[in-house]
Amino acid sequence: MWKYEKRLQYPVNIRKKNLKLAKCILTQYGGPAGELAAAWQYLDQRYNMPDDRGKALLTDIGTEEFAHVEIISAMLYQLMDGATIEELKEAGLDGQYAQFGRDLFPSDSFGNPFNMTYIKVSGDYIADIESDMGAEQRARATYEHLMDLTDDPDVLGPLSFLREREIIHYQRFKELRDYYLKMKK
Amino acid sequence: MNNYLNDGFNMVTGLSMGNFEQEMPRDNTLSLKLAKQAGDNMNFNKCGYNGNSNPNNLYDIYNGFIRGNMFPDLYNQYKIAKPFDVRPMNEQAELLTKVDAYCFAAHDVALYLDTHPNDQEMIRLYDSLNGEVKKVTKEYENKFGPLLKNGATGYPWTWNNSPWPWEK
Repeated sequence: MWKYEKRLQYPVNIRKKNLKLAKCILTQYGGPAGELAAAWQYLDQRYNMPDDRGKALLTDIGTEEFAHVEIISAMLYQLMDGATIEELKEAGLDGQYAQFGRDLFPSDSFGNPFNMTYIKVSGDYIADIESDMGAEQRARATYEHLMDLTDDPDVLGPLSFLREREIIHYQRFKELRDYYLKMKK
Repeated sequence: MNNYLNDGFNMVTGLSMGNFEQEMPRDNTLSLKLAKQAGDNMNFNKCGYNGNSNPNNLYDIYNGFIRGNMFPDLYNQYKIAKPFDVRPMNEQAELLTKVDAYCFAAHDVALYLDTHPNDQEMIRLYDSLNGEVKKVTKEYENKFGPLLKNGATGYPWTWNNSPWPWEK
């Protein structure tokens, strides 16, 4: 089971509204390399891991990804907080507003809703872990693109933190993959 | 050796590896010294920096937290010249950052242990970090209310007090 802890894994305090940037960051909520996709992918894969190492690692990283969903959500909330209708229109978020008002809704930067086919599971634990390594790399690349798009330190701080987590997760998945390959021999 | 540590924290990694076996020291003389060397804008003390917990040359608690990575050999920076300091705006945020930082360190070490379950030294570090997590969580909850629901006790009901994590 899961317990809620009333804090973010890394603090988010964004002082400057930026709707265009929010629209871009939306992809790390509900896009193909987003945190939601990563969380479900790892937690779905853990049932078929061959030993306790894999079950533990996928559970722990999958859980952390949900904490990242919350960091991204907090960023979106703060970047869009207090936006006027005019500002929403200008940033191309009028469609978002028409459908969802000011609620969060997981989609990519283009407004395509979150799609469960982003989640890669195969029933083959090596293939699964390698898809996780790929997911971490794609997320890292996306964070770098997002960092290219802003100079606001309030935004760069959490983006940089999240990017760094992808590097660590990639490393741990790689260690797990290498260990399983060695065991197979 | 660690040329990525070129921002004034090099001395941290030079500490001997066995030191963390001692009780985490209460006094923060070393952190004060390091804060002075690194410039006044470094929040070492505020985040419970402890220079003695560095087996395998890990970052200290605060520097690992602001990087999102406790492991210098895995650290790789993009765009920004150095990691941003976390600047808590009030006492509550400051104490929460301390909780965040210790929880982060324990979590990052735990992921390492998932793939290195036989590393006894790191298990001892995890145990000591976990002790600190419990301590700082209690300290926060006593002052500012529950982080976990089971931290809520007595009248009035404190769980639904602001601020919520996503609020500024």
